Amino acid sequence: MSLIAESIRVSYGRQEVLRGIDLTAQPGKVTAIVGPNGSGKSTLLGAITASLPFTGQVSLNGRDIGGMKPWELAAQRAVLPQQSRLAFPFTVIEVVRLGLQSGTAGDCPTVPMRALARVGLAHYAEREFHELSGGEAQRVMLARVLAQVWAPVEDGLPRWLLLDEPVSSLDIAHQLQVMQIARDFARAGGGVIAVMHDLNLTAIYADRVAILAEGRMLAFGTPCEVLTDDILSRAYGCDLRVSAPPQDGIPYILPHVASA
Amino acid sequence: MATLADTAAPSRDRFARARTLHWLLAGALILASITSLQVGATDVTLSAMLSKLAQGEALSHMERVVLIDIRLPRLAMGVLVGGALAVSGTVMQGLFRNPLADPGIVGISMTAGLGAIVSIVLGGLLPVWITGLTGNYLTPIAAFLFALGTTILLYRVSTRHGRTSVATMLLAGIALGALSGAASGVLVYMADDQQLRDLTFWQMGSLAGASWAKVLAATPLITLAIGAAMMLGRGLNGLALGEATAAHIGSDVQRMKSIAVLSVAGATGAAVAVSGGIGFVGIVVPHLLRLASGPDHRTLLPNAALLGATLLILADVIARVIIAPAELPIGIVTAILGAPVFLWILLTRRGLVEQ
Repeated sequence: MSLIAESIRVSYGRQEVLRGIDLTAQPGKVTAIVGPNGSGKSTLLGAITASLPFTGQVSLNGRDIGGMKPWELAAQRAVLPQQSRLAFPFTVIEVVRLGLQSGTAGDCPTVPMRALARVGLAHYAEREFHELSGGEAQRVMLARVLAQVWAPVEDGLPRWLLLDEPVSSLDIAHQLQVMQIARDFARAGGGVIAVMHDLNLTAIYADRVAILAEGRMLAFGTPCEVLTDDILSRAYGCDLRVSAPPQDGIPYILPHVASA
Repeated sequence: MATLADTAAPSRDRFARARTLHWLLAGALILASITSLQVGATDVTLSAMLSKLAQGEALSHMERVVLIDIRLPRLAMGVLVGGALAVSGTVMQGLFRNPLADPGIVGISMTAGLGAIVSIVLGGLLPVWITGLTGNYLTPIAAFLFALGTTILLYRVSTRHGRTSVATMLLAGIALGALSGAASGVLVYMADDQQLRDLTFWQMGSLAGASWAKVLAATPLITLAIGAAMMLGRGLNGLALGEATAAHIGSDVQRMKSIAVLSVAGATGAAVAVSGGIGFVGIVVPHLLRLASGPDHRTLLPNAALLGATLLILADVIARVIIAPAELPIGIVTAILGAPVFLWILLTRRGLVEQ
């Protein structure tokens, strides 16, 4: 029961953006997709969520997503987009309920408030979504996504959180909070795939890291295996040095020591 | 966790308020209908007739004609057209994700009108089996087909990568409206005397020409379109987050868009075919309702049908009595009430257009 993408190819016009990617994400683990700008990270997530045309195969918990109805997919996985626009003046709690309507939690009335509390915005429930700052809006959208797949495991099947740059507009405290939410979801048996920019957060929170460069998978493995001087320098095209603090051995990257 | 109980209640209230509004608006519609039957150019009143009936007296011939052949079909048409225009506006706005989208403003009503004119002027050139098949429905069907083509074209032109450009939508609407205006003008030149009479009556943009034949011609299309629109509540709510997210939360987006486009074209086409162009109902009604009870389409759509019908009936009453025994075209009344609301939305939410 995992999320398996096989030989994924995506082209925009004549430009081939993904050139045959294989990725297997296990439930119970946070899988991060990293890579330089334009390497195809978000495109890969787009293919996995069936948001754009691709060739190849994606299976979710053993079923080919090509043969699944939108509502079947919605019951098993929730997607956090990079940016969210909202057309009408919904309140925060109404936005979170939009997620609930599609999941299998039915109309369970307490889930939206608990999801909002999880992202630390319970007191914002009655605010208009339009009045929020970018970071707050992003957390509300995370609450919406959490409400959609509230139980990480249902009927013995893991459910999936697919996050496209979930911390892009957050301050450091909320970056940690959101990554912790993702990790907790995985520890409870669900699956998480996150497109990430921040290599240090990736090193701390990811169990598996996929490094993309120019539409290909450059490396896949645990943070310690793939976040190395050699691989990162090749992926990002600049000379990066990875260090590790002595106590826990999690690698960290300081841009100060990089040379272009 | 203590905050949960405190904050869980209020916005349930907004949904509940919208639910309560169903009943209030239904009541308002009944009151408006009674007013509409009561008031008119003659002294005949509903109350006088009812008391006559209660005393067992028969109605005079004139009373029966006024009530059954003039005021009742006019009321029925007001309900149909008002509901159709308000629901079309709501669906358009949900589909285009913009509160300024309206069949009247983006040219759909104009092209539906062209369709109606084409059927009146050139309908005689059609093979007999088609006119035999369509019968009285030819004009509404032609208006529907033209409206359908325009709606699809507008959506294609103004939506790229799941984002709708309001500027493109409005400008394309202006171009299409101008083009259909010109084409309609050409057809008017080609029309013979009888056709000109039909056109003039039709173009007045009012409920004055209401007859049971017209009501029957418009009813199937409008009820189908409104009925289909009522199923779109959840889908349009999801669409407020964009097409991709709507799909992620389980909507069959393509199917929903098709239903939305068909429903807008059906309701607008049929409404325009029987009443000419009545503007601004589709802008004003959903806007007022969003202010009153929020943008949730599950309650917005039925409320729009009720409020649209009520407002159009009342506008028609005003049109009938304000310069009695003459009549003001109802389109003037709705424009006087509606155009300022349109400007108001534009001014308060300028960001909508300048993206």
